[in-house]
Amino acid sequence: MNRRTFLKLAGLGSVSFAAGCSPESPKYLYSLVQAPEDMVTGKATWYASTCRECPAGCGIIAKNREGRVVKVEGNPLHPLNRGKLCMRGQAALQAVYNPDRLKTPLLKEKDGFVPIGFDRAQALLKTKVWEAARRGADRVRLMTEVVGESQMEIFRAALKNWNSSPPVVFEPFAYEALKVANREIFGVDGLVSYRLDQADMLLAFGAEFLETWLSPVEYAWKFKAMHAARGPEKGLFFLVSPFQTLTGANADHWLACAPGTEAVVALGLVRQLLDIRRGKHLPPDLREALEKATEPYQQEAVLKLSGIPLAQYEQLVVRLTEARRPLVLGAGSGQSDANGLAANIASNLLNLLLDPELSLIDAANRHRVETAARRAEVLDLFKALFSGQSDVLILNNVNPVFNLPPENGAKAALEASNLFVVSLSDFIDETSLLADLILPGSLPLETWDDYSGWSSLVSTLQPAMGKITEAPHIGDLFLDVGFETRPVPDYKTYIAERLRKTGRIRNELEWMRTLQQGGLFPAAGQVTSASPATRPQRLPRELASPYESPPAGLAFAVAPSVRFFDGRGANKPWLCEIPDPISRVAWQSPVMIHPATAKSKGLRTADVVRVTSRWGSLEAPVYATEVVHPGLVLMAAGQGHTAYGRYAKDHGANPLGLLPSAVEPACGGTGCGLPDITLEATGRSVELAHTDGSRIQHGRAFILTTTLADLQKGPPPARAGLTMGDFPLTLPLPEGYDPKRDFYPPHDHDHYRWAMVVDLDRCIGCGACAAACYAENNLGIVGEKRIVQGREMAWLEIVRYHDERRMERVMFLPMLCQHCDNAPCESVCPVYAPHHSSEGLNNQIYNRCIGTRFCSQNCPYKVRRFNWFDWEWPEPMNLQLNPDVTVRSKGVMEKCSFCIQRIKEARTWAKNENRPIREGEVTPACVQTCPTDALVFGNLMDKDSRVRRLCDDPRAYQAMGYLNTKPAVIYLKKVLHEV
Amino acid sequence: MTDLTYAQIDETVLNTLERPRPRYWVFVALMLCGVLLGAGAWAYQIFVGIGVGGQDIPVAWGTYLINFVFWVGIAHSGTLISAILHLFRAGWRNPIARAAETMTVFAVCCAGLFPFIHLGRAWQVYFMLPLPNQRLLWPNFLSPLMFDVVAISTYLTVSSLFWYTGLVPDLAVVRDRSTGLRHKIFRVLSLGWSGAHHQWLNYSRGYLFFAALATPLVISVHSVVSWDFALGVVPGWHTTIFAPYFVAGAIHSGLAMVLTLMIPLRRIFRYEAIITLNVLENVAKTMILTGLIVGLAYGTEYFIAWYSHNAVEWESFRWRAMGEYAYGLYFMILCNVLIPSLFLLKAVRRSVPWLFAISLAVNFGMWWERFVIIVGGVAHDFAPHAWGLYAPSLVEYCIMVGSFSLFFFLFLLFCKHMPSVSMTEMKETAHHAG
Amino acid sequence: MPAETCIMGLFKDDGKAAKVILDLPAAGFSFRRAHSPIPSHRILEALKLRKGRVGWFTLTGGIIGFFAGFALAIFTSVQWNLIVSGKPIVSLIPFFIVGFEFTILFSVFGNVIGLLVCSRLPDYGGLESYDPRCSGEHFGVLAACEAGREGELMDFFQKKGGEVKVFA
Repeated sequence: MNRRTFLKLAGLGSVSFAAGCSPESPKYLYSLVQAPEDMVTGKATWYASTCRECPAGCGIIAKNREGRVVKVEGNPLHPLNRGKLCMRGQAALQAVYNPDRLKTPLLKEKDGFVPIGFDRAQALLKTKVWEAARRGADRVRLMTEVVGESQMEIFRAALKNWNSSPPVVFEPFAYEALKVANREIFGVDGLVSYRLDQADMLLAFGAEFLETWLSPVEYAWKFKAMHAARGPEKGLFFLVSPFQTLTGANADHWLACAPGTEAVVALGLVRQLLDIRRGKHLPPDLREALEKATEPYQQEAVLKLSGIPLAQYEQLVVRLTEARRPLVLGAGSGQSDANGLAANIASNLLNLLLDPELSLIDAANRHRVETAARRAEVLDLFKALFSGQSDVLILNNVNPVFNLPPENGAKAALEASNLFVVSLSDFIDETSLLADLILPGSLPLETWDDYSGWSSLVSTLQPAMGKITEAPHIGDLFLDVGFETRPVPDYKTYIAERLRKTGRIRNELEWMRTLQQGGLFPAAGQVTSASPATRPQRLPRELASPYESPPAGLAFAVAPSVRFFDGRGANKPWLCEIPDPISRVAWQSPVMIHPATAKSKGLRTADVVRVTSRWGSLEAPVYATEVVHPGLVLMAAGQGHTAYGRYAKDHGANPLGLLPSAVEPACGGTGCGLPDITLEATGRSVELAHTDGSRIQHGRAFILTTTLADLQKGPPPARAGLTMGDFPLTLPLPEGYDPKRDFYPPHDHDHYRWAMVVDLDRCIGCGACAAACYAENNLGIVGEKRIVQGREMAWLEIVRYHDERRMERVMFLPMLCQHCDNAPCESVCPVYAPHHSSEGLNNQIYNRCIGTRFCSQNCPYKVRRFNWFDWEWPEPMNLQLNPDVTVRSKGVMEKCSFCIQRIKEARTWAKNENRPIREGEVTPACVQTCPTDALVFGNLMDKDSRVRRLCDDPRAYQAMGYLNTKPAVIYLKKVLHEV
Repeated sequence: MTDLTYAQIDETVLNTLERPRPRYWVFVALMLCGVLLGAGAWAYQIFVGIGVGGQDIPVAWGTYLINFVFWVGIAHSGTLISAILHLFRAGWRNPIARAAETMTVFAVCCAGLFPFIHLGRAWQVYFMLPLPNQRLLWPNFLSPLMFDVVAISTYLTVSSLFWYTGLVPDLAVVRDRSTGLRHKIFRVLSLGWSGAHHQWLNYSRGYLFFAALATPLVISVHSVVSWDFALGVVPGWHTTIFAPYFVAGAIHSGLAMVLTLMIPLRRIFRYEAIITLNVLENVAKTMILTGLIVGLAYGTEYFIAWYSHNAVEWESFRWRAMGEYAYGLYFMILCNVLIPSLFLLKAVRRSVPWLFAISLAVNFGMWWERFVIIVGGVAHDFAPHAWGLYAPSLVEYCIMVGSFSLFFFLFLLFCKHMPSVSMTEMKETAHHAG
Repeated sequence: MPAETCIMGLFKDDGKAAKVILDLPAAGFSFRRAHSPIPSHRILEALKLRKGRVGWFTLTGGIIGFFAGFALAIFTSVQWNLIVSGKPIVSLIPFFIVGFEFTILFSVFGNVIGLLVCSRLPDYGGLESYDPRCSGEHFGVLAACEAGREGELMDFFQKKGGEVKVFA
């Protein structure tokens, strides 16, 4: 554990008198008349909590400064995410400080909503539910998001008191198909977790485990544990899918199958394995049944249906059978249609055939999202409501109207006049709009709670700040309205009680410790896991009938978004502003089609098309890219809100509007695509808000790759030329200078020469670093129009390049200020605003800058950003601003500072203890959050520092190093499996 | 050269100072409106933010810098004509020297405005001046922009002094031929010049030194301007040819502007006898030379880009000819090299309409040359992921109109209130001729 | 000494004027001043004047400027003592540009000052015994004679073919 972590954890100590917890009045956030005793102005307090931005439930620690949360980071002790966080987690703050957040309940009257007090709202709710309860069974229904066990218990209890049936847990991505597959093959009725890190070969049929699937941060670090180059070793990742998203972009081999044929390929592979006598351990009758069931999936048939070239297919089979510890993942989050179901079952079968022990399947640590109800149940509920079987519907932070395809009955049900709908939501989203009462509850960062991302552990939440609204916690709310009298004084006690009852904690002290470290869990690395015990005895009924592949014609698919998840992130400006990793388009939601398809339809990128299906139609700009199958139209979920605040409303289109809502009877889920749609040009075109330029790098030395074979050959001969190709690595240190190349003499630094190493082989392009940077450094949000004008402010951007030789291969490059030793930007400034610091940083002095913009002109990496205007932080967004970082005014240049405020903090500590800054003590925001540890920061002058040692890696190079700027950002080449 | 008598010269020139017709004031008012428009646009920009312009990342410099270089270029022929040709004893420069110098002074004023307009924080512009302050914050004399500050301010000072020195004897003439208020004013302005022998003795000496100093200055100034780009690493900027290339270009555009101004002036003020066709023809001849130099520079740039085997350089030049801004390149080749080479034909050289038309074409072409260099360079530089385009905004257009209005506003005022042709020098010419 | 009268002879041609200047002493008149619309070599030769001394001022200015330019650039950069683009704090090559421009600027200042000092400008008093025609087409020669010889001097001028103007 490095020092920084230690300090954070020390900070956690003060939790018991947490600054934010007591005061409910918002004014404490502004003027600290009486500061809480653990608050020292200018010193941060960290509170361990749990991220609730998606059902994964990563551990976080929230940084509190002067009573307000200014940053969240991953909790280093938490076994799920090990101190890392994704971009959605980083953006959790923007829900708390969202200017569109409701401050009071709203009651619907004839002429729209009117604000009412919380007491009145609560009273109203209470009378309504009890009246309903008296009227008979199931008169009160509750639909909730996935919540922690404590909250679930309270819900159940309350509903019992109202003699109604338990709540329906609604998640747009409920993994119905995967659950069935697990039940049938592993005998686990739920969602097992996977030990990716142990695998040496990975095959996925669309599971986008780096973005949204089950637990993205967890699987991101696990993925790199197996996939990053370790010397001459490197795991393999095959993807079989009609399209690539971020996860696909990280695959070594993408087998582009025809839309809807993932199952065919999966079953084909099962067949192949059976043919080579795998799975002898299976019960004979199951084996026979399987032989029979996979009869139609002989190689020829598979190739014909899926359109995968023979060579690729064979390669897959060979690698799969050769692999020592192969792991097969199923279909994507949303894919619970026939295809998804078959694919998932087949994947599990493959795992069983390849590894009878199922050693990489972990049934002990199951994902919490398994508690979500099947889509069928959700739709049934709405049917029931519509037919007037209930009087009160309580919606806990769910948005079915947006998240369900049309004809879902939700709208109709909510509009039914005899139904009193209460939406416990902090925002006026599409669903709340139809509610009779909107009752905002306090948000995760403001409350006590618990949530177990893995069934095996407990992860706690605690208020990391004072409330900025009067909103009660949902738990407390239910304690009031759900019971005649409060069974316990408050929800916090309730949680403690529950943990005590379940024997997880024994006394107050352990409770404190639990809160302090953010939950009850084994230390990272000591997680115990267990493979599924039972084995299937009979052929799953779902495979009995052969799966028929869909009709030809243009197919449509919706991919869950790494930025917005199912759409809940769309009201957070950081997520809107950070562009999509593949298209590099922000704020808008283009439809992705293959260039060939575009050509055949006479379309060019940015032309607006109308996509029409039997169920609906939408208009969106085209983005032509090679990462989708020519027969597919791909669109990311999450945008196209008609409500949900200023940042979400009227940005992009909602692809779910095209989908059918009919469920697949076998698993009770729905798919995220449909076989045939029509695509027609509207003749209009828009300006895409993209942040990239050329999609290829024109043979330039920005992203360099090497192959595993070359790596095994050992280090290449040292380069000594002057051209782009053979320019040597010139460290930003005196030894990096050579009279043959350098006109000016070397210069030294005192004690430190800060530098960063970026391992392109580890970078998955998820953009968490970019989000962390936005949060840490008060970057301005410029909006769609400004991005179109090329004025985005990202200090760190994930540059995306396509491989010139194989356009379907995508590569990522975190591009930030290179803090060059010979920075071209410095000497051209007439006023010394940018200059070289004594510790090697390329400082930018905002107060000195007069805005000539010459530095940006002269920067070969174009990483400098200019404040074209004064950017706005609408109240209370301004409360999130990091007090350690200046907010830049209009007319000045800015750029990555290597988080100099963190360097200064570390230096202060070091000075107080009168010692030099230690390795690992300074961690820039981007480095801290990187789920795959692709970024390393440190002092180059320290011979033993990690950065210095990594510079000796044969993969080390500098972007466009031949310009002899001597960048302090050293990249490590991406390692490709030879093709 | 000219067979006019002293009296005729005085008469012709002094007639131009007669009370102007109302039409003149209409034009002056019109130009003033233009100036106000530009000023308004600038005020708006300062208030809202430089973002009201069209600049972005990567193209952070737009029309403001283009116009800056454009006007500095214009400013060059003035000094060239009055100083260099003076040293060469080229008599034909006398009739146009005064107007050219005036043009120089006003063009430098316009040019000098643009770096301020261009700043993100124009109100902090004094950071660029070496003002003593107790915190010892000084400008960075390693920056090409500081070279600019020094060079342009020097150039403005020197050319204004040069211009005024040249005016003094003529001011005396006006003084001696006028009465009333004008007499009083010019009596002061002419510093009591009486053409006494000791005055002439030192005057001609001083004037010679002036010319000798202005010559290297004028060359250095546009070289410095070119280094704003050549000292950058940007492909398409970072070339050693830039200094001579820019100087030649500057003179090219300056001469064009001289024609653009002289031809109407000659017509309106009936200067035909003084600014004879031969004078215009000589200007045209010089433009053939400068045009060819510029053309050679264009060619050399492409040759080196190809010869260097530098992929980045080559790509940037390939794109220059085939990319989104290709039209700019073709404008500049056509208007700066091909069209002026029509001057090789005597008929064209000696036809006033042709001269005028071509001079306009060159002004246009030279503006586009600056566009191609300044915008084209960074729009397509090292980082393909950052490639982007740029288009000027309305505010920029208003400010551009403002600068042109300012220039003509000042020039209009000048030519009606000061002798727009140097009588003294004309007399000398006549003297040597007769 | 007895009262003097200044009389100016105005000639249309500087050759005549020059001749007159040469002949004046012989005729016993004292030459005062010559006015001309243009710098006339003939007259200046006739007066056998040495070259003007403006150049010295210019030179001094230039030398001061050269060192001032370098001094400023070096002084300021040493004050900051910051490295930019890996260049040395004191980089003489770029500073040369500052030095050069300052050289020109200060030489011109020197030149202008020299011009004003040597030609004794501004000098509004000098216009007392001056004829406006001298800025037009006439070359005026101002000579003085002691009281009583005015007539002779006028004749002298007229014989040489010039008009005459008497200043009381």
